[in-house]
Amino acid sequence: MNLKSGNKDLDDEELLQLLNRAKFNDSRALGKLCVHFYSKIYRFIYYRVNTVEDAEDLTSEVCLRVIKSIHEQKGSFYAWIFRIASNMITDHYRRRVVRSNVESVGESIEEMVDAGSKQSELIEQQNLRQALRRLTEEQQEVIVLKFIEGYDTDEIAHLVGKSTGAVRAIQFRALTALRNMSDMEKFIEKDRKI
Amino acid sequence: MERDIELLLDNCINEMRNRKSVDESIAEHPQYAGQLQPLLRLVQKIETLPQPEPTPEAISGTLINLGHHIAQYSMTFEKPTAVVKMRKKSSVFNIIRRPKIAWAFNAAFLFLVVLFSAATISANSVPGDFLYPLKLATEKIKFMLTFNSEKKAELRLTFSDKRLQEMIAVFQQSGKLDTTLLKEMLDEAKLALEETKIPTDTASVFVTKLRHVNAYQKDVLEKIRPQVVSSNRKIVDEAINMCDSRSRWMRRMMNEENEISPDSSEPGSMDSPQRTPRSKQKSDRRQWGPECDWMR
Repeated sequence: MNLKSGNKDLDDEELLQLLNRAKFNDSRALGKLCVHFYSKIYRFIYYRVNTVEDAEDLTSEVCLRVIKSIHEQKGSFYAWIFRIASNMITDHYRRRVVRSNVESVGESIEEMVDAGSKQSELIEQQNLRQALRRLTEEQQEVIVLKFIEGYDTDEIAHLVGKSTGAVRAIQFRALTALRNMSDMEKFIEKDRKI
Repeated sequence: MERDIELLLDNCINEMRNRKSVDESIAEHPQYAGQLQPLLRLVQKIETLPQPEPTPEAISGTLINLGHHIAQYSMTFEKPTAVVKMRKKSSVFNIIRRPKIAWAFNAAFLFLVVLFSAATISANSVPGDFLYPLKLATEKIKFMLTFNSEKKAELRLTFSDKRLQEMIAVFQQSGKLDTTLLKEMLDEAKLALEETKIPTDTASVFVTKLRHVNAYQKDVLEKIRPQVVSSNRKIVDEAINMCDSRSRWMRRMMNEENEISPDSSEPGSMDSPQRTPRSKQKSDRRQWGPECDWMR
């Protein structure tokens, strides 16, 4: 199973070699490994926290946690790092007062304007992003892995340690919940009229 | 029903990834179109969300932090090495756990136990016994594995004593004198002296010990002499004479040593007329006691 559909530059054998070297505290291997999974983890975290700064801080913390406990790593590397990232997000929400949505909307819109997107699309995307954050943790995890990271259902099942059927069920419930959210309903209606 | 819709939704999402439109995907399942369509349109919207990329500054900042951490980790915390060592150990145990290797280990262990038991039992064997060759082999191996000359001399003395005990045991059992054992007894005692380096304190102690053994051997031979058949009595007499002459030689040598030792540290003592040159002592030692015809 190829678990790296989002990142094609490292095959399974190369990853295994890097991991073996990293377990011997090889600083080059640790650095290369960190660069390799940084973007993946960043994207995974980005849609589950309020600000870019939070996403960057948490990704950095995940990297440190990975490096600290790399010698204890067993089984699938990606499942392991996503589990760490998921736990870090949970801890983040436990220990910090969540900033108000209004504040985060402002920040995110500014960031996206910088990226050169249209204003109406930006508002839609921002609504969607807020709706995503109202889902349960496991629903957020499945949606981000599926539609942001680009994994298929079997791969997600392997990463989150659930059956394929369970992942399909979570996916269905997550999409239904998103549709049922009032602002999302409006968003879809508007899209139909257009 | 719910399972079906979950599976259908997943299949439709996969078809959309293969460049099918929402309408094309749900066309095959018209009965679920009402449920699937809004969900698939939502999926389309989610997939248009931007793929955020971290800034190079964020990555480099993390790498710098990691560099500090790795440096501290390497200097203060040796856990990875310990873990590797533990894994290596466990891998050795894993090898032993393999059936063939475990069988070989068990067989080797059993062989060693049998060999050790046989060697222990053979210690009391005498010529003609089944285990006597094993006793001689054990003695040879023991001697070959001994590298210290003093310990070698001690072993020779032990072997000489063992030959005497064997000779007595054979004589008590059969009433016959085993001349081969007698010859070996005398040979081992001679070789024991040749192994020692004279003069040293321990060598002097050893020569005294050898003298006692020699005297004991002479006593034993004198005691069994009347019971030996007349044809062998001459051999016993010669052996007794040899023990006697050896005893005299050793007594003389010890006296000379005692005379040399107090002056050896004084300047000019080399010119002492009483001193026997060491090279001379060595040559004498090699010829201690006359060899008999039956020993050749």
